[in-house]
Amino acid sequence: MADLKIQGLAKSYKDVRVLESINLDIASGEFFTLLGPSGCGKTTLLRTIAGFQHQDRGEIIVKGERIDHKPAHKRDIGMVFQDYAIFPHLSVADNVAFGLKARSLPKGEIEARVNESLKMVRLDGYQDRLPGEMSGGQQQRIGLARAMAIRPTLLLMDEPLSNLDAKLRIELREDIRDIQRRLGITTIYVTHDQEEALAVSDRICVMNKGNVEQIGTPFEIYRKPLRRFAASFVGTMNFLPGQLEGGRLRVGSQSIDFPVDASGPVELAIRPENVELASTSPHGGTIALKGEVLKVTFLGREAHYTLRTEAGEIVAQVADPAQDFIEMEGRPVEVRLPLQKIALFRLNGDVLDAGQAR
Amino acid sequence: MKRRVRFDIWTFVLIAAWVILIALLIWPLSSVLHASLLDNDTGAFSLVHYFQIATVKAYQRAIGNTLLAGFGGMSGALILGVTLAFVTTRFHIFGRALIQTLAVVALVSPPFIGAYAWIVLFGASGVVRKGLDAIGISIPPLYGAAGVILVFAFKFFPHVFLITSGALASINRSVEEAAESLGVSPTKRLFTVTFPLILPAISASALLTFVLSIADFGTPRIIGRDFNVLATEAFNLYGSEVGGNPGMASALSVALIVLSMVIVFGQRWVLRKNVYHSNLIKKPERKRVGGLKAVGLHVLAYAIVLIGALPAIIVVLFSFRRTSGPVFQPGVSLQSYERVISTVSDPIWNTLIFSSTAVVAIVITGTLIGYLISRRPGIATGALDATLMVPYVVPGIVMGIAFITRFNEPPLALTGTGLIIVMAVFVRRLPYSARSVAAALKQVGPNLEDAAVSLGYSPSKAFVKVTVPLILPGIMAGALMSFVTAMNELSSSLVLYVGSTITMPVRIYLSVMDGEYGTASALSTILLAMTVIAVYAAFHLSGRKESALL
Ligand SMILES: Nc1ncnc2c1ncn2[C@@H]1O[C@H](COP(=O)(O)OP(=O)(O)OP(=O)(O)O)[C@@H](O)[C@H]1O
Ligand SMILES: [Mg+2]
Repeated sequence: MADLKIQGLAKSYKDVRVLESINLDIASGEFFTLLGPSGCGKTTLLRTIAGFQHQDRGEIIVKGERIDHKPAHKRDIGMVFQDYAIFPHLSVADNVAFGLKARSLPKGEIEARVNESLKMVRLDGYQDRLPGEMSGGQQQRIGLARAMAIRPTLLLMDEPLSNLDAKLRIELREDIRDIQRRLGITTIYVTHDQEEALAVSDRICVMNKGNVEQIGTPFEIYRKPLRRFAASFVGTMNFLPGQLEGGRLRVGSQSIDFPVDASGPVELAIRPENVELASTSPHGGTIALKGEVLKVTFLGREAHYTLRTEAGEIVAQVADPAQDFIEMEGRPVEVRLPLQKIALFRLNGDVLDAGQAR
Repeated sequence: MKRRVRFDIWTFVLIAAWVILIALLIWPLSSVLHASLLDNDTGAFSLVHYFQIATVKAYQRAIGNTLLAGFGGMSGALILGVTLAFVTTRFHIFGRALIQTLAVVALVSPPFIGAYAWIVLFGASGVVRKGLDAIGISIPPLYGAAGVILVFAFKFFPHVFLITSGALASINRSVEEAAESLGVSPTKRLFTVTFPLILPAISASALLTFVLSIADFGTPRIIGRDFNVLATEAFNLYGSEVGGNPGMASALSVALIVLSMVIVFGQRWVLRKNVYHSNLIKKPERKRVGGLKAVGLHVLAYAIVLIGALPAIIVVLFSFRRTSGPVFQPGVSLQSYERVISTVSDPIWNTLIFSSTAVVAIVITGTLIGYLISRRPGIATGALDATLMVPYVVPGIVMGIAFITRFNEPPLALTGTGLIIVMAVFVRRLPYSARSVAAALKQVGPNLEDAAVSLGYSPSKAFVKVTVPLILPGIMAGALMSFVTAMNELSSSLVLYVGSTITMPVRIYLSVMDGEYGTASALSTILLAMTVIAVYAAFHLSGRKESALL
């Protein structure tokens, strides 16, 4: 049980700034996910927290105590490495037992925990193999078992499931989540898989270029993005150019009442599943645009319509598509954007407080 | 905000390493620099010796010849060593253990008498030359620059072989396979992927062979004839009773050191961006080939090691020849052994005790320093790395003289003890170990150690538990080279020995000087057998079965 506070953390490699000034406040037992494009500094952040490298500025506080000057091996922070870092000279069981031996646990306990961890990652029975004789995904799971086995106060996982098949990935992420909850290990998790992030996290932190863009629950991140970057990076988002003027919002040739103080160019954002096509009857205020169906992608449970509107191209998602919708390519259609579901972003990327509009 | 200096175990290792190098290297060698700056007659400070190096034709020729011998020996050794390493690590070759043994035998080709064996074979009246002449093939005698370079190539290739085969065997197979899948032909892949990946090992062995070539004085002295190099000039000026010129000799030694420093920095420049790590998980496999290709590969591998081991083989054969005084007679006999048997036990024990003591110290210190060099880059470690090159190039005789000068008076009156011989061997062979460990470490990703640390091991424990097992091949290769060269150390011991601390190589040298080639051959054979047995024992005890050396 430990809470983690990070204040003003900055890190450069030579003259390249990789972390600008990171502030995080992670509660005890929380499952906290870092989400961000490749190269945005996620691994760097984890390695700094673990103590493999030292920050240039800022503080890392665990349980109210600064740990910056503690050497890495005394921090009791477990880590799953992006490139696995499996010890090639040790058997699978010895890899997993490695950290337990450092804690001088009794032999029986070590064996029990090794077996338990290996069972968790579905590698029971591989105890005596050498890592060189295992597949890439299996090696990754050794690393996962090894870090979980020591039950650290803080667990850092750098894309621990990236190399597994979709089914195993879903199984393991549930297991990780269960164990994490049961043991109350505060966890920082890095993933590129947005669905995974939304599914398992208590909170998600969207990072970009060494900065925190937004921190929030999965619902907040998905439904109430505070920054354009978060909106565009998580899930699919349509963006249309718009203009605010004297309490009205203009999109394409449409203009609608929009009582906010701000004025100037904005970007209107809306998720595909919120775009309505003409056949549904409107409720509340909507922006209605003339459009044409360019392409229909049938995905089974849903269909994606790529639409050309007077304001630009957008994608609409239609659940449980019926036969006739699929034949709509090339036909004109009316596209409705419900005001309740849109977000507006200023040109600097900040959201325009939508509360004012409602 | 400034970064806090973090003290850990490696800070202390760094300090200890500097203390050792200052006490055993810089302090003694400062006497050489000092001597080079004094006028021989007046004893006053003067740059006259350096001025002479810059103006006297003979010295300039010596510098040119030294460079020629250095680059020539280096290129030859690289071609032979890398070829052999590649063939034996990538293809299924019968008798790998034999090849490795012969390579070690070539490595210990006994001092002086090795060069003598070359003359016996390829000299003006050499056996092989005469034989070839009889069937109408005429080759020039093995004197001069070409001979020296050839001998260097065959004498020093085992260093390259040992260093690079370790590296070749631990390339991640996936990387090569990736190149292959991208449509790169095997030959092209060799030059665009494989060699760049083992560049640390190749360049380290290039540096080593260059420096060994320019510091060797026995070979150019016996084979070079009028091919004078800095080492022979220095040796003559130190050694000759009449017309000795210690100031000039010291200046030439300093020139040698400076020359090799340039090469050291050259290598560091080549490697400036070179940090490749593989996690060693998928090791390359040996390919089975058949037919003509297999025959060709076997011929190539065996030819290299057999020619390299030729001097040693000749010496062994000669040790069983009948002699009359210094002259060999037809027929087989144990005469030579009978003559040495009663006097040989002291030198044998001395050799074993001195070299094993030195090697234990070398392996421990060298491993720690090798780690510092490759994992804690910084000004202090960079300078350490460069300083560590000095012992390579200082001719043994210079080192010996420096030790005598500095450790002659209480509280450091060590002259005449075994300790001073051990110390000289230690500091001269420490770089082998440090460098080969540094090269091995270049291929082990630092993440593995981080992983151990995150699991609760202190950095020093993580090093012992994870890194040491992974770089064991590198440590063993370094230990092996230190050990065989320590057992065969001649030049510094020659200056430092007294009656009770005589070693085998010194004993051999004295026999050669007395013209007793028979007894010298017998002694050399004994030393050779000791070396091979010791190497095998060491590797057997360390439990590495499949391959004795790698
Ligand atoms: N040792 C290093 N020296 C210099 N730059 C580095 C080093 N390690 C990482 N970087 C740079 O720092 C930035 C952040 O790297 P980091 O590994 O933290 O990214 P990441 O968010 O984990 O990316 P990914 O999702 O691809 O793993 C990158 O631009 C990278 O090029
Ligand atoms: Mg990363």
